[in-house]
Amino acid sequence: MPSEWNYIMAAYGITWVVLIGYGIHVVRRLRAARRDNEEMRRTLEVES
Amino acid sequence: MNSTETPVDAAIAELRLGAPSRWLWGTTIVGILAFIGTQIYGFTTPSSEEMGNLVKIMFVHVPTAEISFLGVLLMFIASVLYLVRRQERHDLLGAAGAEVGAVLTALTLVQGSIWGRPTWGVWWTWDARLTSEAVMLVILVGYLALRAFTEDSGRRARWSAAVAILGALNAVIVYWSVQWWRTLHQPHSSPMTVARPYRYALRLNDVSMLLIFIALVAWRYRAAKLERAAELLREEAALKQGGSYAL
Amino acid sequence: MGMRGEIYRATSLALKDLTTERRTKANFNAVVFLAGLMLLLFGFALGPDADALRNAAAGVLWLTVLFSGVQAFHRSYEVELETGALETLLSYPGSRKAIFVGKLLANLAFILLVEVIVVPVSAVLYNLPMGRLFPGLLPVLFLGTLGFVTLGTFYGAMASRLRARDVLLPLLLFPMLIPVLVASVEATSALMVGDVMGEMASWIGLLVAFDVIFLFAALLTFETVVEE
Repeated sequence: MPSEWNYIMAAYGITWVVLIGYGIHVVRRLRAARRDNEEMRRTLEVES
Repeated sequence: MNSTETPVDAAIAELRLGAPSRWLWGTTIVGILAFIGTQIYGFTTPSSEEMGNLVKIMFVHVPTAEISFLGVLLMFIASVLYLVRRQERHDLLGAAGAEVGAVLTALTLVQGSIWGRPTWGVWWTWDARLTSEAVMLVILVGYLALRAFTEDSGRRARWSAAVAILGALNAVIVYWSVQWWRTLHQPHSSPMTVARPYRYALRLNDVSMLLIFIALVAWRYRAAKLERAAELLREEAALKQGGSYAL
Repeated sequence: MGMRGEIYRATSLALKDLTTERRTKANFNAVVFLAGLMLLLFGFALGPDADALRNAAAGVLWLTVLFSGVQAFHRSYEVELETGALETLLSYPGSRKAIFVGKLLANLAFILLVEVIVVPVSAVLYNLPMGRLFPGLLPVLFLGTLGFVTLGTFYGAMASRLRARDVLLPLLLFPMLIPVLVASVEATSALMVGDVMGEMASWIGLLVAFDVIFLFAALLTFETVVEE
């Protein structure tokens, strides 16, 4: 039977993994969105 | 025509996209540091007599569970604001809150399961809190799924606002119903009462988790606003292209 | 448009819905048949011990009503969508609330009629004590169905206009129905044992509160769902 520590490590581990992972996901979305915005602004300037 | 503000410019202005404020950066950095600190503090707390080392799981599980409610609450408030004021950014805030809430809720369920197994020998208990979290997760996922499948932005905002309000109301009702239901069938509940010496560490972790929540929502909200601005610009670009042919 | 006008609108809409014969009859038959089939399948899954079946009967009955009844909400807006009648309806003056109430009444009548058949069938298949269940079951059936239909009509209005309707309607609707499910099943089970613990009042109370809250909320927000 797995010791208590396995469960404790699992709980802490998954918490950190999920929070850090989601944080990275948000950062990536931010960067992509910022890039899209700059691209679109440039496209619009060219057109007008 | 170029000197006047186009509707798209007005719409983007409404999003209120400034540079990220000092408060946001401050909260993020303080939050991360606080979280690391309080987690270590909780982890190194001496073990209790009844629960042994397992009490340490409480320092992740309880804050996550409590803060996960904020996701639904934020989604609800933002949706009401949207229906009243019809400002796009309120809709986007609700979506940000729901998404972060969904992540925390799912995490709570997994933590609860990990806690339950060594404590009571089961991977799942139908207790009021865990069950309500599960229902809350489904409600949040439904909200996010509706948004994903609705293409028109106006409709998406209106519909998800309505769904959010009803869903949040239901989350409360489900909580009461399940409590009632449980007391009928199992008179002894298994409360997670916290012994006094641990309460301080728990409060600290609550606060740091709250800061993390605020930071995640704020950045996610910002990303949503940027995405929406890009979408508006794309539409304007498409219109301009179409316009030159319409001559 | 006064209150009287609104009520008239709602009821005439409901009647129109119910009497578009061929479509409604086909739907009705399909839903009833599906329900009967589900009762049978549950029987195979949980039986054949009569006691086990009787214990599970309340849950099986309500799950059957919910899963087969959802089909009705899928179809409820089909006619309007195909003929573009919804736009026409919306272009008339008068509140959207009347449209919602009309649809709700039509769906309510539909599901109640389905139950008129399904409840006796389940009583037979699961050997239910009809003497104990009646007349107490009637308010439970009505209140539970009302909650089901209120939310089904509301979410159906949205889901039916999306391509992913088959997934989205259950995904959105079923979590909302959990209180109805719990309360109705508990009340029905309590009735079957003669309500020895006096729970009926609490569960009926929950059903009433649920129905009132969501009827109110749905009426308030239906405008935003249906405006264009």
